[in-house]
Amino acid sequence: MKHSYIDKYGDLNSLLHKLDPRAKVLAFGAALVFMISEPRGEVGVFVFYYVLIAAVALLSRIPLVYILKRCLMAAPFILAAAVLLPLSRLSPNVGKTGLFTRENLCLSLSLLLKAFGAVILLTLLVSSGKFNNLLRGLRRLHMPSLLGSMFALMYRYIFLLNDEMLKLKLARESRTPGKLRISRFKVYGNQAAMIFLRSWKRAQVVYHSMLARGYHGEFPEYGRLRFVWSDGFFLAGFPAVFAVIRIWC
Amino acid sequence: MSHNGFQNGTAIVIENLSFSYDKGKPVLRGLSLIVERGERLGIIGPSGAGKSTLLLHLNGLLMGEGHVEVLGQAVGKKTIPEIRSKVGLVFQNPDDQLFNPTVKEDVAFGPLNMGLPEEEVHRRVEDSLKAMNLKGFEQKAAHHLSFGERKRVALATVLSMQPEVVAFDEPFSNLDPHMVRQVVEIIKGIPGTVIVVSQAILPLVSCCDRLALLKGGRIEACGSTMDIIRDKALISASGMDFDFYCDICRRIHRNIS
Repeated sequence: MKHSYIDKYGDLNSLLHKLDPRAKVLAFGAALVFMISEPRGEVGVFVFYYVLIAAVALLSRIPLVYILKRCLMAAPFILAAAVLLPLSRLSPNVGKTGLFTRENLCLSLSLLLKAFGAVILLTLLVSSGKFNNLLRGLRRLHMPSLLGSMFALMYRYIFLLNDEMLKLKLARESRTPGKLRISRFKVYGNQAAMIFLRSWKRAQVVYHSMLARGYHGEFPEYGRLRFVWSDGFFLAGFPAVFAVIRIWC
Repeated sequence: MSHNGFQNGTAIVIENLSFSYDKGKPVLRGLSLIVERGERLGIIGPSGAGKSTLLLHLNGLLMGEGHVEVLGQAVGKKTIPEIRSKVGLVFQNPDDQLFNPTVKEDVAFGPLNMGLPEEEVHRRVEDSLKAMNLKGFEQKAAHHLSFGERKRVALATVLSMQPEVVAFDEPFSNLDPHMVRQVVEIIKGIPGTVIVVSQAILPLVSCCDRLALLKGGRIEACGSTMDIIRDKALISASGMDFDFYCDICRRIHRNIS
């Protein structure tokens, strides 16, 4: 089975990919905080943020279409929040002014820009390297080990679940000539239950194989991370530009 | 270590072992078995005989009633960490064995858990990958490899722990004939005690010194490989009859010659 959608661009040879994961996590995290702490209703300043984000995206060599697809996945939730936001600030004058005032539009637009900016930044952080490297970076930054193990296992089980799903899909389609009738939709329900049962059973075997190799609750770390001057430069420079925009613009 | 003559002493002693899953039907019923150090033992038996369950008892993944002793130590809660570093289990499906993001990390997982220094871990990873002809695969993700490659990686993950006993669960399943041959050669080349559980009796004949027939949760017969396969009545009664394959081979041989 092939699963290329995770870590798809983790192997690219860009400046962003070469950075130490610790530097990336801290720099992106700080940048995110500066951006989302912009006062509500601010819109114009996001031009600067987006120019900066676009520059980093270009630097990463990750295709724009891929980033936009990630945004599309988050879009329903972000749009729902942006639409509902003005409703949470109804004033007694709403009958006169209507819902679509300039202030409300700015509020919604500001929320949209913050949220999509955050999605793009996080996409760049996660996609500009292998997931395991990011995990190593997070562990070195003293992320709780239980959380680290959970992320590592989740990463492993996504493939396991997907494998089981693909196998069941093939089995179903090979015995389903033509289109599946609506009356047979319960097949999907049974299939979902079967995926979880099978995955659970396999997870038990995987756990046995971990125990057999001495697993005692923590994933051991292997290999060293090298923090060089370019990492330091990025860690200091990237959030600093965001801070300047936040403070002066 | 020699493969032709057994080393002194016993590697594994199992006495009167019984086990059932969740108080269901017993899988192992008073099983007893002795494995000598340095020998290669094949365990055959029909589906559901308890072969894989038996393997899981060797390093305390399951603990039934009875006595299991590995390299002079009784398997118990206190001895489990040490025993697990001495007994390597190679699971039937490599996908169950590979759970780290890269091949290198998977192979290093066991040695790191053993608390070895990083230089030693690195050396073992290199050696195991080299032995399995997997140089250049270090940074690859296991789920992107072919089945045969994953099988070799799974074996490398165990070899890197340098266990004194290596136990294989159905190592020949889902393999093409070329890969079966490779696995047979790998098994022959492993220093130390090897236990191979399989329904594929023919590859076992070529790589095991001794065969044990497991049926109904007990060892029905145990002896030298040739003695066991010569006993046609025993083999046939246990459902491990391989006359069918021999007939095909004879016919092919006649047609070719």
